[in-house]
Amino acid sequence: MSEIALFGAVEIGLVYALVAVGVYLSFRVLDFPDLTVDGSFPLGAAVCAVLLIAGVNPWLASLAAGLAGAAAGLVTAVLNVRFKILHLLASILTMIALFSVNLRVMGRPNVALLMQDTVLTPFYGLGLPDHIVRPLVVLVIVAAVVLLLARFLSSEYGLAMRATGVNARMARAQGINTDAHICSGIALSNGLCGLAGALFAQTNGFADVTTGIGTIVVGLAAVIVGETVLPARALLLALVGCVVGSILYRLAVQVALTADVIGLQASDLNLVTALLVAVALILPRLKGKSRAVRAAR
Amino acid sequence: MIVVQDIHVTFGRGTPLEKHALRGIDLTIPEGEFVTVIGSNGAGKSTFLGALAGDVLAEQGRIAIDECDVTRWDTPKRAGLVARVFQDPLAGTCATLTIEENMALAAARGQRRGLGLALASERRNGFRDRIAALGLGLENRLHDRMGLLSGGQRQAVSLLMAALAGSKILLLDEHTAALDPATADFVLDLTRRIVRDNRLTTLMVTHSMRQALDYGDRTLMLHEGRVVLDVSGTTRAGLDVPHLLALFAKQRGGAEISDDSLLIG
Repeated sequence: MSEIALFGAVEIGLVYALVAVGVYLSFRVLDFPDLTVDGSFPLGAAVCAVLLIAGVNPWLASLAAGLAGAAAGLVTAVLNVRFKILHLLASILTMIALFSVNLRVMGRPNVALLMQDTVLTPFYGLGLPDHIVRPLVVLVIVAAVVLLLARFLSSEYGLAMRATGVNARMARAQGINTDAHICSGIALSNGLCGLAGALFAQTNGFADVTTGIGTIVVGLAAVIVGETVLPARALLLALVGCVVGSILYRLAVQVALTADVIGLQASDLNLVTALLVAVALILPRLKGKSRAVRAAR
Repeated sequence: MIVVQDIHVTFGRGTPLEKHALRGIDLTIPEGEFVTVIGSNGAGKSTFLGALAGDVLAEQGRIAIDECDVTRWDTPKRAGLVARVFQDPLAGTCATLTIEENMALAAARGQRRGLGLALASERRNGFRDRIAALGLGLENRLHDRMGLLSGGQRQAVSLLMAALAGSKILLLDEHTAALDPATADFVLDLTRRIVRDNRLTTLMVTHSMRQALDYGDRTLMLHEGRVVLDVSGTTRAGLDVPHLLALFAKQRGGAEISDDSLLIG
């Protein structure tokens, strides 16, 4: 693997780390399997790209992308808690709808960002090569998000959100409005995915409606890899695990695709991803079984 | 103080499984009274507690807690007035959160939850003192996940949690039924202590007639969604389990007691 490919993998891993953290929030904290992210990620990219072309400040454009993602998440959550549609189905409905919304936002299937200023532009002139500047800037953003989120989940409000996911009945008996916490949690989760989409558009120089496909699987893969590598109970460490998992996942994919001996092509990416997630899900189970067998002896 | 006026609850209305669980309960429980509730399976004990807590809304009648009409309030809204301990030790706590996180959740019951740290250090120390008073040695395990505790320990912590935030009434739904006899006695003693120290108006559902008479100041018997027996004071002091059984049989029109579990203990 070349140095550029290596840093490229780290960079894309860091961008998707925000998706991983968002997926951790929905799947793990709230126990709400949310597929909206397949739509909110390209929505963030689309909103950001369109605003950048319109000459909006890149930070504002990224913020707007996050808000757009949050709004998408809110739609899913409201469909579930208010109208009692199964969470999985509610999120699929939003996801499908977002495909059309994203086409409308961009006016065409993809938008290129060629000369526009991005959040990265001011850092390009500082003497470091571009392929190192990009992951560094994204790293700083991801670190800030992780710290803020860990602090949020340790607050009274965040703790109530975690209780909602663990034991909703108990939470209600403690006066927690579980519906409101599901709404804000899923909105936050998708807001992070929207922000990830914005960073994706800015680091890669384009937004495309099809970039959303499989986002949820990538996010989940990162969460699972992170949990395997860093099996921590502490909140901050669990979030760091998501980030590490996301980077490791990208590196693994990069290795798999560049190792000529295996003979894989770039188009095999989704197959490799699915296999990786399946293996990551199966391994702990096998490990538990072999431990039980040993204990029985 | 709890005032209940003619409440009715029906499950599955209009279906073949329609069940008229509460059929007009009228009750006034003065502040600080400890009431035990007995009745056979399906008598409506749990439904009655659920109606007080807000889990099921009465379709008719009125419920007031401390002069406050809560008839239409849902569970989270009533939580500032109502503390509960469930029968299932798993139901009343969050297994994957730590002991102190569970306590922090309970300490904020019925209050606005903001962005301040849930576990500030002075609060932590307060929790440590409270839990040390249980005498279970849990004060050194505040960082342990709740799921690591035994059923009895969890119920003891649940009771403690119920008293952490101010509340008007305490609802105990057979909270010792899942425990072994020695642990059940410990939890009941703790119940008595916490109810006395916090002067809580308490309703305790139990399956054991012995417990119903030994604890509290007043005993209610429910049958088919109605209060069929309501004793307190000297009448109650003179009662023993056989008397209670006889009264129960009389209320049911001389029918034999068929529910064995009522006779145990």
